[in-house]
Amino acid sequence: MVENVVTLAIIVAQIMAIVGPLLLAVAYTTWAERKVIGAMQLRQGPMTVGPWGLLQPIADGAKLFLKETVIPSGANKVVFIAAPMITFVLALIGWAVIPFAEGWVIADINVGILYLLAVSSLGVYGVVMAGWASNSRYAFLGAMRSSAQMISYEIAIGLIIINVLITAGSLNLTEIVLAQQSVWYIIPHFPMFIVFIAAILAETNRHPFDLPEDESSLVTGYNVEYSSMAFALFFLGEYANMILMSAIAVILFLGGWLPPIDIAPFNWIPGPIWFILKICAVLFIFFWARATLPRYRYDQLMRLGWKVFLPFSLLWVVLTSGVLLAFDML
Amino acid sequence: MSTSYLFPAAPELLLILSGLVLLLVGSFKDHAAGARLVSTLALVTLAVAFFATIIVTPGAAIYAFREHFVLDAFAGFMKGVVFLGALGTLLIAQPYLRQEKLERFEYALLVLFSTAGMGLLLSANSFLALYVALELMTLPLYVMAAFKRDTFKSTEAGLKYFVLGALASGMLLYGISLVYGFTGTISFTALQDIYAAGDVRLPIGALVGLVFIAAGLAFKLGAVPFHMWTPDVYEGAPTAVTAFFAAAPKIAAMGLTVRVFAEPFGAFVADWQQIVIAVAVGSMALGAFGAIGQTNIKRLMAYSGIGHVGYALVGLAAGTERGVYGVLVYMTLYLFMTVGTFAVILTLRRRGQELERVQDFAGLSKEQPLLALAAAIFMFSLAGIPPLAGFFGKLYVFLAAVDAGLIALAVFGVLMSVVGAYYYLRIVKLMYFDAPPEPFDKTIEPELQAVLVVTTAVTALFIVFPGPILGTAQVAASALFP
Amino acid sequence: MTVALAVFYLLAGITIASGVMVISARNPVHSVLFMILAFFNSAGLFVLAGAEFLAMVLIVVYVGAVAVLFLFVVMMLDIDVVAMRQGFMKYLPVGALVGLVLLIELFLVFGTLRIADAPIAASVPTPEGVTNTEALGAVLYTEYFFAFQLAGIILLVAIIGAITLTLRDRGPIKRQNISEQVHRDRTKSVRMRRVEPGRGL
Repeated sequence: MVENVVTLAIIVAQIMAIVGPLLLAVAYTTWAERKVIGAMQLRQGPMTVGPWGLLQPIADGAKLFLKETVIPSGANKVVFIAAPMITFVLALIGWAVIPFAEGWVIADINVGILYLLAVSSLGVYGVVMAGWASNSRYAFLGAMRSSAQMISYEIAIGLIIINVLITAGSLNLTEIVLAQQSVWYIIPHFPMFIVFIAAILAETNRHPFDLPEDESSLVTGYNVEYSSMAFALFFLGEYANMILMSAIAVILFLGGWLPPIDIAPFNWIPGPIWFILKICAVLFIFFWARATLPRYRYDQLMRLGWKVFLPFSLLWVVLTSGVLLAFDML
Repeated sequence: MSTSYLFPAAPELLLILSGLVLLLVGSFKDHAAGARLVSTLALVTLAVAFFATIIVTPGAAIYAFREHFVLDAFAGFMKGVVFLGALGTLLIAQPYLRQEKLERFEYALLVLFSTAGMGLLLSANSFLALYVALELMTLPLYVMAAFKRDTFKSTEAGLKYFVLGALASGMLLYGISLVYGFTGTISFTALQDIYAAGDVRLPIGALVGLVFIAAGLAFKLGAVPFHMWTPDVYEGAPTAVTAFFAAAPKIAAMGLTVRVFAEPFGAFVADWQQIVIAVAVGSMALGAFGAIGQTNIKRLMAYSGIGHVGYALVGLAAGTERGVYGVLVYMTLYLFMTVGTFAVILTLRRRGQELERVQDFAGLSKEQPLLALAAAIFMFSLAGIPPLAGFFGKLYVFLAAVDAGLIALAVFGVLMSVVGAYYYLRIVKLMYFDAPPEPFDKTIEPELQAVLVVTTAVTALFIVFPGPILGTAQVAASALFP
Repeated sequence: MTVALAVFYLLAGITIASGVMVISARNPVHSVLFMILAFFNSAGLFVLAGAEFLAMVLIVVYVGAVAVLFLFVVMMLDIDVVAMRQGFMKYLPVGALVGLVLLIELFLVFGTLRIADAPIAASVPTPEGVTNTEALGAVLYTEYFFAFQLAGIILLVAIIGAITLTLRDRGPIKRQNISEQVHRDRTKSVRMRRVEPGRGL
């Protein structure tokens, strides 16, 4: 009995150790995004609250927290309130299997990569439920777009993951990272890396694929009826998801916590630092895309997903397995 | 026991591969021209598959795919019959699709995949293979039923068939899982070996599973008490599709039923005999009495089909090699009669409109004496009047039943054929003694002509040359009773 | 051990409860959501049973793809639950009677059952030291290769069928040709013309 309690306490402590910093990271991701985009557009970004606007995210959070929660009269209350919670929780539970360094992981399960795929495939529920429960046409349209988009791109993501896992020969995330000791998979699988980045932009509903919240045609899409904390949960969920997806990209293609070259100045820096630096680099691509690219039209988005990414990644699976088989590297 | 790799499944592999290739051909060609090309190639494929079946069918059983697949004389025979049925019905579908503006290349593809499913079904040697092949066979059928997608009746038929088919699959799967749970194996061979050994009794749970499997199979056969879908689906589906339904899948399902009862459960004749007898009696009675009030020829053919399944099941009920032999002969002859009858139905047109009412046969003999003669031959044969083919089919199954001591069943069967003769003969009466209200269209498309000639010839001349069918059916039946 | 047991009862309890809710919820969308909850908890049960691969696939395939589409259809259909339930009370007595008879029959059948009636052929457990994914893959691509490939063909047929029934050729419509757009350059679209003053083009 005592053992059980101790185990439970350790697990809770581990969860807190990840979720706490993660929430802080989410808050400062929004700040970083505004700063980066500001710089790209020759502006300064947030500057008023705190030095260099550093307290801006805290102020935003406090503001949302203090606002009144409005539930539309025709809304389905339970589903309406559950939707943002689901989005937020899903953005957090994926971190259970993310290894920050060898052994630095809450749950080192054998099917880690499938777990991540499962979690990301669930993300669509928050959006669909929100859109339906709001009892609003804009919200419902946004939800429809979002789920069609997420399902379409998930298939491409699944195929890309297959490439990585047959190369690594394991579904365990730690082993996938360790398999990249000789060469990061971004090098042999470079085209897949590009497709993966584009697909995770679509999967997280980010620019240039942010049609579900396309403000010029749908007001803001599925979350149009949300306010205060419920909205904040969506917002946090979206950014937490971005960070999670970046972490997955780092693990699959950028060698996780491994230093770029295993020699003196690089391997002095501990693994988790490398991991976080790489996540930041991928996050930068998210910001960069948002500042640079115009929004896709919906049919073009679907065309890209089904007619370009899907066949291409399928072809790459055939190619990868062919090469691995030919050189007896399976 | 000899095993082999891929080779025994050559006909089915051919069908599937050609389906894949034709899918590409159809996608890249223009609509009508592409549909015609794909249909022609599909017909060629089916013909090649038929001959390939004859070539690959061995004397002794060959196993493949880790014994999920078996090719013996029984499977070879039934496959040959089924492929012929698919070939014939695809051929008579061509003019129909042209006239009804339904020329889309998917039709031939669906026939190919469904036929491949039938072939694999007849060769299934485990419940897993059985289930997967069954789904491959039926999934295209649902789509084909709804092929005339702009009409309410056709879509309704497709939906009805799909929902009830899914229910049947569910029951079948439930039965399979019970059998697996209580016996620990899904392999037909293993089941046969275990129970052939001696006085092992079938576990009661597996018996319940057997009942569920029988229910699922009865659904696919369209036998009482799971026949309700047949009249509606037959009526709603496009006539060419109805012809296909009445011919190929029904025969494949019958072959499967025979194999399931004779092979894995062959040692438990006493356990399943009552089920089969009940189903046969119900089907014969419903087929005979249900058809009397029908005014739509497709509905009438549906009831006729239910009745014929009942007669064929009389042979299975006997549970002997002779009984199975009777079933095989019956189904083969049934194929020719049905395809021929549907060729007649597809030929009947007035000002380009297809005719579906029984009344529309009136006065056919005055305008097209040859067509009317063919139709009369099919009707007499379906009624089981000597010396036509249908009589011999009934004769063999009833003889087998008498042999096995099921005299009452045989007598009941004869009585029901007398009742059933009424509505077949009514059509003959309409054709020969009534006047047509309006003239029929004169042209008979070449595809229909060819099929009509072949089917009429087989039906009428079976008594003269019974050898090929009887001989191969004998070999096929003995394969199940080594 | 006790923890695992407690988790099992929790998951199994929620599964059954949500199963009941699927058929009893008034709102069809709620029914689907409860079904998803049931899937989710079943995945949890799979994990408890040591079948982690199946658990994940259950979520990815059923919850992540199938149920979403299902949810969509249900959301977009305007199902009138009141009308659907109209005949319910009328048929309830007959249905209940049939159910009761079936139940009694089942008891009669299984009453004679010996639980110790072990299956004749033993099932094969996962070999030691092999992960579940590997073990599944090993039989899927050897022993059950036949069924696996056929399942693939069934899916292909399903695609063909769905397209056959729904794709409509809308005639001549303007389509976007992406490669043409991308390969367009200045020389193809702009021409420099010297325009004489006062003459116009």
